[in-house]
Formats: sequence, structure tokens, C-alpha cells
Amino acid sequence: MNKKLINLISKVMNIPPEEINDESGPLNVEKWTSFNSYVLLYELEKEFNQKFTMEEAMDVKNVADIKRHLQNHGIQFD
Amino acid sequence: MINEQSLQYYLNQAQKLEKKSNSKQIKIGIISSYTINGLAETLQVKCAVNDVNCRYYVGAYNQYSQEIISKDSGLYKFNPDVVFLLLDTRSLFGNVFYDSYSLNLEERKLFVKEKFEEIENLINHFSKNFNSKLIVSNFTIPSYSSFGINETKQDYGFHEMILSLNSKLNLLFREKNNVYIFDFNSFSSKHGQKNIFNYKNFLFGDIQIDFDYIPYLAHELQSYINAFLGITKKCIVLDLDNTLWGGIIGEDGFEKIQLGPQPPGNAYYEFQKFLKALKQRGIILAINSKNNLEDALKVIREHPYMILQEEDFSCLKINWQDKVKNLKEISKELNIGLDGIVFFDDDKINCEYVNVTLPQVKVVNLSGDPSFFPEILQNMNDFESLKITNEDLKRTQMYSEQIKRDELKDSSISLNDFLKNLAIKIIIKKSDNFLTPRISQLTLKTNQFNLTTKRYQEEDIHRLTNDPNFIVGCAQVKDKFGDSGITGVFIVNKQNSDEWHLDSFLLSCRIMGREIEKSLIAYVIDEAKKNNVKKIIAEYIPTQKNKPSENFLSECGFLKYDDKWIYDVSNSLKLPEFLSVKVENE
Repeated sequence: MNKKLINLISKVMNIPPEEINDESGPLNVEKWTSFNSYVLLYELEKEFNQKFTMEEAMDVKNVADIKRHLQNHGIQFD
Repeated sequence: MINEQSLQYYLNQAQKLEKKSNSKQIKIGIISSYTINGLAETLQVKCAVNDVNCRYYVGAYNQYSQEIISKDSGLYKFNPDVVFLLLDTRSLFGNVFYDSYSLNLEERKLFVKEKFEEIENLINHFSKNFNSKLIVSNFTIPSYSSFGINETKQDYGFHEMILSLNSKLNLLFREKNNVYIFDFNSFSSKHGQKNIFNYKNFLFGDIQIDFDYIPYLAHELQSYINAFLGITKKCIVLDLDNTLWGGIIGEDGFEKIQLGPQPPGNAYYEFQKFLKALKQRGIILAINSKNNLEDALKVIREHPYMILQEEDFSCLKINWQDKVKNLKEISKELNIGLDGIVFFDDDKINCEYVNVTLPQVKVVNLSGDPSFFPEILQNMNDFESLKITNEDLKRTQMYSEQIKRDELKDSSISLNDFLKNLAIKIIIKKSDNFLTPRISQLTLKTNQFNLTTKRYQEEDIHRLTNDPNFIVGCAQVKDKFGDSGITGVFIVNKQNSDEWHLDSFLLSCRIMGREIEKSLIAYVIDEAKKNNVKKIIAEYIPTQKNKPSENFLSECGFLKYDDKWIYDVSNSLKLPEFLSVKVENE
């Protein structure tokens, strides 16, 4: 599941998967623009078949936040 | 619904694009009242499929007025060919969007008048500052109204306000050649407001078009780019069995094939109606089918529900030859390049064979459910042109006349006799407001007999026509079979009073091979003589397609010096006696 998430982020942000960790986010990844955040959210909803609330979406500051919200939706990470 | 790729696909592809040096070029600007990221990248990828190198500039969020008005703006500096201005009803109407009935009837009318003038004013600025085409989206009529089911009972209600604004925009720009209204409201209905507009995206980042629908929007906007660049398919080549009717005529027989107002034959019946409409606006139809000629002709001539008639097809290849050979022959007989052809066939193997052997031909595989055929055809953006001219509307008739000419050619003794028999009349005209759209269209579309292949938009031709340093002329060609319309163009730069430069010289492929080009150049030489000009300087700029015009200059007595061709005006060019030339509006 972790790999699936990382690959998706890598595809949307157009950066290699090995450059992504739990701390990655708009503040430290140059290509993580606000527009790419929307695209990522959109792709996450499609990929994991979930809908995020506005509050959840706005709370995302890094990969760890994404994992936390996905876990709240019942998605398990190793 | 024809399925598009996802936005993510286009964003990724855009990263991998390589710039090709010999591609066509276009610069597009996108300015908008809402967040429209991803559209430019999608257009770029779609253009690359057509071998077009697209560069873009996307204006900052909601800065469209500044981009247009300020001569220091990024858009202005980018100097785009085409600009898309995308506006939304919500931001234009402000609070009136939510509660239009806070205004009384007179105030609502005044409000729309003011909004219209705002846009008009902005676009006038654009026309003054930019030498580009502008495509403005019109306004979506939302399903929402604060008056609910009473909305339609209101005099000049909320929805009518938007409708009226849209009609005013259409009317204002109907006659302007540099501004087009993109019917975003229809786009919105086609895909559904519920699908396009997603509240979360809107609230989150003023994203008013759902990501999944950006590629559909790009597809529609690409039509303008195709038309601007003259990337237009001219001819549809159709298979017969399981394409124009259901079943196989050779096996099922005349009575058993599916075609008519009842299902399942109505899918083909409907498909034919749309094909007929395309033919009426100037797209040439032809047949390429493996069949016994008599069987197929019986259906075309006698089937009560055959919408397309024999005279609707400019070329029939119904035989047992392979389809690639037939396509090549169709291209040759109609004098339409393979890249001007779309081929429809239900057989996957045939489609693949054509795809591989003739990659210039666009292949549309109709192997699926025939109920999709009409939509597949409607969804194509390959037949667009910036203007529909009289020549377009009469095209099929002109091609049929061409076929009669070719028959005469076969029966004539010599080419000279054949040409004499045609009784060709050439009318040379100077460009005027009425002729500029067609002259521009010819410069954009003509590839084969074209010495310099310079492309000119309508505004360029208009400018050159009014420039005393230029002669912009064209020729109408008639013969005993009919009128081919305006089919030749020449542009002369006479800035230097001793040496005139032939800026452009072209001839539509329809009238090639009749020495008409000689009468046009003779006219230019004659004019030069009258003006005491000593030399005419011409150029042949080779392209992949203009080989047919390669020897023209030397045949007319031009001599080559370096990369230029020079004609000494003291010589004279003998015209073939079978041509009758008349000069108009001198």
C-alpha cells in the first residue's frame, strides 16, 4: 500500500519515488505546487476509491498526513 | 460518450515531449477568470499528435484584464498566435449570480448591458494591442435559480439574462475575423454541469472544470488551432459493408442488409445523415470497398433508405484490389494529399494495414457498436476551418466536374487538344474585402503548387491588400464543365521600384496541369512592364510537398542566381493559345 501511494505521488509530482518520504510536502518539494496538490487529491480519491472532506484536504502538509487520513478511511499501511 | 485520457496522462506526456524542428509551430495564450491549470499541457500534447509544436503562456489567476490591457503584460510579450479567454458566469455576475431578483426588471437589463460593455471594451483593447485570434468562451446558464420552478415565469429572469448576454456576444463578433465565441455553455450541457463543476474543487482552488473534463475541453479548443494552422481533412473515404449499412451485401443480399429508420439499421441511417451534412459543407466523400461493383451500386442506386446518393461520392473504388492501393488512387484522382484523408472501416486488420502503410491517412476504426458511429463522427475536430467559403459549399460539384474533365482527357488525342476543348477562362482579380477570406484560406491550405508556402491569416491578407507596396491578386477559373472558383493566388512585393519580389504564388491542386499558372505569372510580368520594373525576383522554397511547383520558374524563363530566380522583364512570356484571360477591377 505504501508503494502504491509513493508511486502515485511520484507520478503526479513527476519526481523519482526514492526522493519521497513521510516528510515530503509542498514546503520541501519544489514540484509540489498548489495545483499539483489538487491533482494528487483527485488521483488519491480515484486510486483508493475514497472521498476526502474539505477539512481533510486542507490539513495535508506532507505524506505522513496523507497516510493518516487514508488510515482514518480504513486503508492499512505496512 | 467517446472516452478521453485522464489529465494526469497529459501532464505526464507533456513532460516527455520532444521538440521537432520541422513541425508546424503555434503559440497559444490562455487567460481566465478561474484556475485552469493543465489545459495548456493537454493542448500541447494533443498538438504534438498532429505534428504541431505548441508553445504556451498561461496568465496568472484572474488577471485576464491586465494581461489584455497592459502592453507590459506577459501575454503581450509572448506575442501569441491564438488566445483563449475563459470566463465564468459566477465571477462576472458577482452577487447577482446568487440573487438576481434583488434587482428589478430594468436594473437586470441595465446590469447585462453594463457587463456586455465591459467585455466589449476589453475585447476592443485586445484587437488594438494584439495581432492574434481571440477565442472567448460564452457563459454557462446554471440549472440553479433562487426562484426555482418559477424561473421561467420571470420577465428577463436570471437565465434569460445570461442567454441574452451570450446572444449579444455572438452578434457583436459575427462579422469580426479575429474574434470567435467558443460555446462553453453547449460544452457544459454536452458533458453535464454536475460532472464538470465540482464544488470541492471550486471551493478549494476556484477550479471550475473538473480535472477529468480538461482533456475534453482541450479537444474542443484544439479545433481552433487546427483551423488556424489549416490542418484540415478534406476527404472522408468510406467502406460500405458494416460501415454505411449493416451486414455484407455480397452474402446477405439487397433485402437483408440493415439500413433504414428502424433499429438496428437506423444507426447506419443516422450515420449517413451526418455524413451527408459534412458533404454539404464541403467535405469530399469517396468509397473504398471490397465488393462486386454491381452489388454495391444496386444498394447505392436503389435502396430506399440510402441517404448518400451516387453523386454525393466524388470517387468510387469498389473492387477487389487492396485498400491501400485504392486509397492511393483516390488521393491521386481527387488530387488530395494522403494527409487530407480520413478513412472509415469496420475491419481492424484493414485499419491497421492502412495505419502502418499510409501513416499520413487518419484511420477511424468502426469495429464496435454502430450506435456509436454518429457520435464518433460528430466528435471529430479534423474538419474545421476559420471560415466556410462559397468554394467549400460547392466542392463536391467541382470534383464531379473534375471527373468529367478527366474522362475527356482520356478520350482526347493530345494534352493541347484536351485543354483547348475545355475552353478555360481565367479571370484575374485584385484582392478586396470580399476575396480576402478565400485568399487567406488558399495560403493556409495549399501545399503542392506553392512556391514559398507562406501562410497568411485573413488579417494579414487584409493588411497586404491595403498596402500600396503590395499587389495581392487571385484568379477565378471556369471551363465548359463549371466554375472552379478562386483557385490561384499571387502576392507581389513592389517596394523596390526596379525589382519586384514574388512573395507568394500558388495554385489549388484542383486546377493544376492546365497551364493556368503561366497566365498568372504572365499577368505579373505584364504589370511589371507597365511600371517600368526591370526584374522580377522569385524563390522556390522546397517543402516535403511542393515538388509539383519545382520546375515552374525555369519553365517560365526565370534564371537561377544563387537561391533566387530572376526574370528579365524585357523578355516576354508566350501564353498558350487555349487560355482566355480577363483582368477584372483594375
